[in-house]
Amino acid sequence: MSSRVTLKINDQEVTVEKGTRVIEAAKLAGAEIAHFCYHPKLKPDANCRMCLVEIEKMPKLQTSCSTEVTEGMVVQTASEKVLDAQKGVMAFLLGNHPLDCPECDQGGECQLQDFAHQYGAMTSPFGENKRTFEKTYFGPLIEKEMNRCVSCLRCVRYCDEVIGSNALGSMNRGSMHEVGAFAQQELDCEFCGGCVQICPVGALTSRVSMFDYRTWQLKKTETICNFCGDGCTLTLETVNEEIKRATSETGTGRNEGDLCARGFFGYDAVNHDSRLTRPRVRLNNNDLEVTWEWAYQKASEGLKAAIETHGPQAIGGIISAQCSNEEVYLFQKLMRETIGTPHIDSDARFGFMNAITAFHDVFGTARISRYEDIAAADCLLVFAGEMTETNPIVALKVKDAVRNHGTKLVTIAPYHRKRETYISHLPHLAHQHVQINMGTENTAILGLTKAIIDSGAAKGGASELIEKMKSAADAVSFAQIEAVTGVSEEAFRDAAAKFGTADNGMIIAGRSILRGAGGYQSMLRLAEMAISTGNVGRPGTGILPLAKEPNAFGAVEMGGAPEFLPGFQPISSEERGYTAIEMIDAAARGEIKVLYLVGEDPLRSLPQKQVSEALSQLDLLICQDLFPTETNALAQIVLPAASYAEKSGHFTNQEGETQKGREAIDPLGNAKPDWQIFSTLINKMKTTENVPYQKLLGHQSADAVWKEVVMGMPPGWPVLLGSEGVSASIARYAERLDLHWALPEAAIKNGAFDLQVGQSLFHAGKMSTYASGLKTLLGKMVVLIHPEDAERLDIDEEEIVEISVDGSEGAIQLPVKYSKKLAEGTLFIPEHFALNIKKMLPFEIDATSGVPYGDRGKVTLAKVQVATQ
Amino acid sequence: MAKYELVLFKNMAQAGYDGSIEAYKTTGGYTALEKVLKDRTPEEVIEEVKKSGLRGRGGAGFPTGMKWSFIPKDHKGPKYLCCNADESEPGTYKDRQLMERDPHQMLEGIAICCYAIGAQTAYIYIRGEFDLGAEILEKAIQEAYDAGMIGKNVFGSGFDFDVSVHRGAGAYICGEETALLESIEGKRGKPRIKPPFPAIHGLYQEPTVINNVETLANLPHIINRGGEWFASIGIGKSTGTRVFSVSGHVNNPGNFEVPMGVTLREMIYDIAGGVRGNKQLKAFIPGGASAPMMKPEHLDTPLDFESVKEAGSMLGSGAITVMDEDTCIVWAAMNLMEFFHHESCGQCTPCREGSGWVLQILHRIEQGQGREGDIEQLEYLCGRIEGKTVCAFGEAEVGPVLSSIKHFRDEFEQHIREKSCPFNPNAALSMAH
Repeated sequence: MSSRVTLKINDQEVTVEKGTRVIEAAKLAGAEIAHFCYHPKLKPDANCRMCLVEIEKMPKLQTSCSTEVTEGMVVQTASEKVLDAQKGVMAFLLGNHPLDCPECDQGGECQLQDFAHQYGAMTSPFGENKRTFEKTYFGPLIEKEMNRCVSCLRCVRYCDEVIGSNALGSMNRGSMHEVGAFAQQELDCEFCGGCVQICPVGALTSRVSMFDYRTWQLKKTETICNFCGDGCTLTLETVNEEIKRATSETGTGRNEGDLCARGFFGYDAVNHDSRLTRPRVRLNNNDLEVTWEWAYQKASEGLKAAIETHGPQAIGGIISAQCSNEEVYLFQKLMRETIGTPHIDSDARFGFMNAITAFHDVFGTARISRYEDIAAADCLLVFAGEMTETNPIVALKVKDAVRNHGTKLVTIAPYHRKRETYISHLPHLAHQHVQINMGTENTAILGLTKAIIDSGAAKGGASELIEKMKSAADAVSFAQIEAVTGVSEEAFRDAAAKFGTADNGMIIAGRSILRGAGGYQSMLRLAEMAISTGNVGRPGTGILPLAKEPNAFGAVEMGGAPEFLPGFQPISSEERGYTAIEMIDAAARGEIKVLYLVGEDPLRSLPQKQVSEALSQLDLLICQDLFPTETNALAQIVLPAASYAEKSGHFTNQEGETQKGREAIDPLGNAKPDWQIFSTLINKMKTTENVPYQKLLGHQSADAVWKEVVMGMPPGWPVLLGSEGVSASIARYAERLDLHWALPEAAIKNGAFDLQVGQSLFHAGKMSTYASGLKTLLGKMVVLIHPEDAERLDIDEEEIVEISVDGSEGAIQLPVKYSKKLAEGTLFIPEHFALNIKKMLPFEIDATSGVPYGDRGKVTLAKVQVATQ
Repeated sequence: MAKYELVLFKNMAQAGYDGSIEAYKTTGGYTALEKVLKDRTPEEVIEEVKKSGLRGRGGAGFPTGMKWSFIPKDHKGPKYLCCNADESEPGTYKDRQLMERDPHQMLEGIAICCYAIGAQTAYIYIRGEFDLGAEILEKAIQEAYDAGMIGKNVFGSGFDFDVSVHRGAGAYICGEETALLESIEGKRGKPRIKPPFPAIHGLYQEPTVINNVETLANLPHIINRGGEWFASIGIGKSTGTRVFSVSGHVNNPGNFEVPMGVTLREMIYDIAGGVRGNKQLKAFIPGGASAPMMKPEHLDTPLDFESVKEAGSMLGSGAITVMDEDTCIVWAAMNLMEFFHHESCGQCTPCREGSGWVLQILHRIEQGQGREGDIEQLEYLCGRIEGKTVCAFGEAEVGPVLSSIKHFRDEFEQHIREKSCPFNPNAALSMAH
């Protein structure tokens, strides 16, 4: 049977895929049918009755959104009968609708307004009293104006079907029907803003920019979100160089138009008052705001002097992976070519580097899966229980796979399965959740691998590898693994059966692996697991590492790492420069004299004592930043950089997809895009003449830089799975592999808490803490604790407690929040606010990948005793 | 009432009949179930029911045997029977009596239906307000389990099935079959869009039959006495007896079981004892609140599905509401509309917005604030609701309004012209209290 169906719409023949809805077929035939409740992302609900059409042989009008096309169907979308019905629906909808368009933020892009206009000026036949609702709020960020609601339930359905948050529902009946937080509770959801985006009228609007613009004044710029490694397409909408809102058009980008709280509500961080807007130079212990001319002069003088006195190797640079590909490329060019130092690194080092180096060591490429693989997989093995918080849009894809594509989900995480708020929690959705002791992901991988090997599920041609895995697995027992992870042999066998028997299995590795001790080794073990089960190189397979930074992948690919030149060209270990941590150590030794930090705040992200000692030894510290930080307060030269919204450039997300970001507003004040600063400085360093800095800009646009980048890529770039080099690389890896599984000490219960520092859904790094909307959702440092632990210690919610780290001096005080997601005996602190705790946690460096680990520790929590008089 | 043979009410009409399983068994109860389980294939049962011409007693009158035959035979996975006991149509109270007074008659019907369609689970969705009914049913179900009439291996036939009671929470719309399914699933009770129909995607998206209490109660008799016997009662395509609930201004209101085809005149004047106080009959509703009103000129209409439809109304749930000459028709229409406005689920636009709008106009007219053009607007609005909604509620709510205008337009005009209700000049005041 043919999968195509031919039908007639308004006498025009059209052939469409079977299963197409009449409303979609009509669109193809050029007949746009008015609608409210229909939305391409949602299942049909046919509640608004606006899209009624006449279909031959059917006595009643039919809703075109819910009716599937059939062969030979004859449809009229604008007959007299249809228009009469549609006018009726319009009259009903407008009856109770307030005439408050002048003060409605939806005005200008309101479907009710548009269709009312389309149906022509009519005197409303409504002569009764309008039904009115009080204006209320869905929490701090969303206004609910039910008088404007057309009850299409798009918001409710989006929240259910796409986000899976189920936070909204219908309340009351008949003309008193309204949309509300389910069961009339306070809205405690993901605040993705999807309900606001999908509302066809002004019933749900954002409170962040209330009454701030008329929609037709907005200039729209499509760019890439800067808040995590998902790489979402984001439209920044601006009036007079100020961002008024962020949206994403349905179906566009890797995110297909879906956003999270950070993307939707986090936009105003870049317009924050504390932004650095003028270069600053320290002169005789005074910080002076100076011109760019001066700043460039001082920077190049300082760099040249250091080269002269100590040699180029005394200079090191670290760049943030929030910078674009062009910027990282130019920065490494400045460092390697202009200055001549091998010491360059990026903050991809702080975790994502584990994935890139491990993947290169095994596969010879880091591009081994794409988002499309998630829905295509039959089984997903997810080592990222906190994915909703760290990478919300990839989490949506996992939810979609489970709900709509029959994918089996196995989660491995130190959290309970329970979902306590309307924030999604992948373990809650999993077919099997393997709850491990905090920080034992590495051992859990071994347990799972052992179970897979035992079950005989390891197949494929990698027999040498499988043999080595077998002997390593035989050397450890499930009892030993259980002693560490707290997980039984049976649970591992169940999970192994699910993954091992799946036709296509995919692995997702999150922050707990990439930023947890032993991360590099764990990525190797996962790669071995994927290869041995034949799960590489087909749709629905591979390993997806999750990045925190928007350009972690790109930063390394552009050469922002001592191991690689642009295009992942390896640098031999003899010629390699220092990693970020090694640079700090070298500075402390007096070997590095100048540090150039771009968007980096090591005093915050690395052990403070060590860093502060190192920085004090420097001759020169140059910092290039958006906001004042603890580190740039010490700098002799501070250069104000432009945010992602103020510049163009390419970003490569965690799956290796390179996308273009575009400038939405001019740089704030005198801030400049990082690429312009590097491009100018490169030429400034080369010249001894007194040339105005404007003439030293080597590239006229970010596009010009990108052209240089692409032209300079090595042949065969990018390496993709399926190329010959990859299978050869896997074979070489298997051959040289000397595999021995090392198990850590079994968990000791000594009453101390296991603390994990991690990410909140409402923040990304530090920048989001400047977003007014996000700050209302989480505005201070808190520690999450399981209520039973709190009860045992007699600690109320919001009560201040003191946390001290075993084997470290000092203590911090902070308020408590209950969370049933956490396991008893564990604590969780979101990392975004003044993070004194990180300065106290134990710190170690990965022997192979140089990744620093300092997010976990054994801590003691105590009530703060209030002195009674 | 010796004139007509009682079928459904036969047991409860006997002195001392208490509805217990013992009492039911002494009347030959559960022999029909035994018969089908031992001697008949499910297909034969469906054929018998088709032969009987039994049509749904809930309101729509869909042929029961045909409904059952839509259930896919080769379906893998569960199938369900839902007994619709959400009797909420104003004026209707027949199912309540059938459940409270002879629960096993219906339970046996449920068992027969389950066997015929291959369902192993039946839910009785009972109106939330029926506390007593629910209690009686729970007890009867327990008795049936204890006696092996429900549960595992019934009559040693190897057939297993379970029955449970699900109590509603007070929404009229949950009597609409797909809203009923949503409600059983624990969701907000609102009608689903059709297709798909419940026979294919019903409860929990599995094949499901939804039958009314009275429909199911007829099954043991059809099995015991044969489909042909059943088809010999009644007229034309309306076979068997029907329980009518007569209410309003009659001397003898109540439930009456008569063969289909008895005239309205006989029902009102003979069986229900005529209009109270010897007043003149003004209007009546023949089939529950959703059925359009009729006038005395329609009194000779036989009470069967086709005839009532031909006369411009519908047999519906079989609730006959009688109004005498002192009844204000505008008030009556308004009163019915208040009910429908209150019960509109709010899902689709025409019903949600239209019900409130129509009600406000009716309120105004009754209160003496009617305006020129109100009647035409009522007609316009009703026309934009009818046929445009997700479920049949749209047709139901406009029925009383359109029919009252059709038959009593002058009375509406009089209200508007005189700016007052001729029957209750103080309507505004009395409504305020």
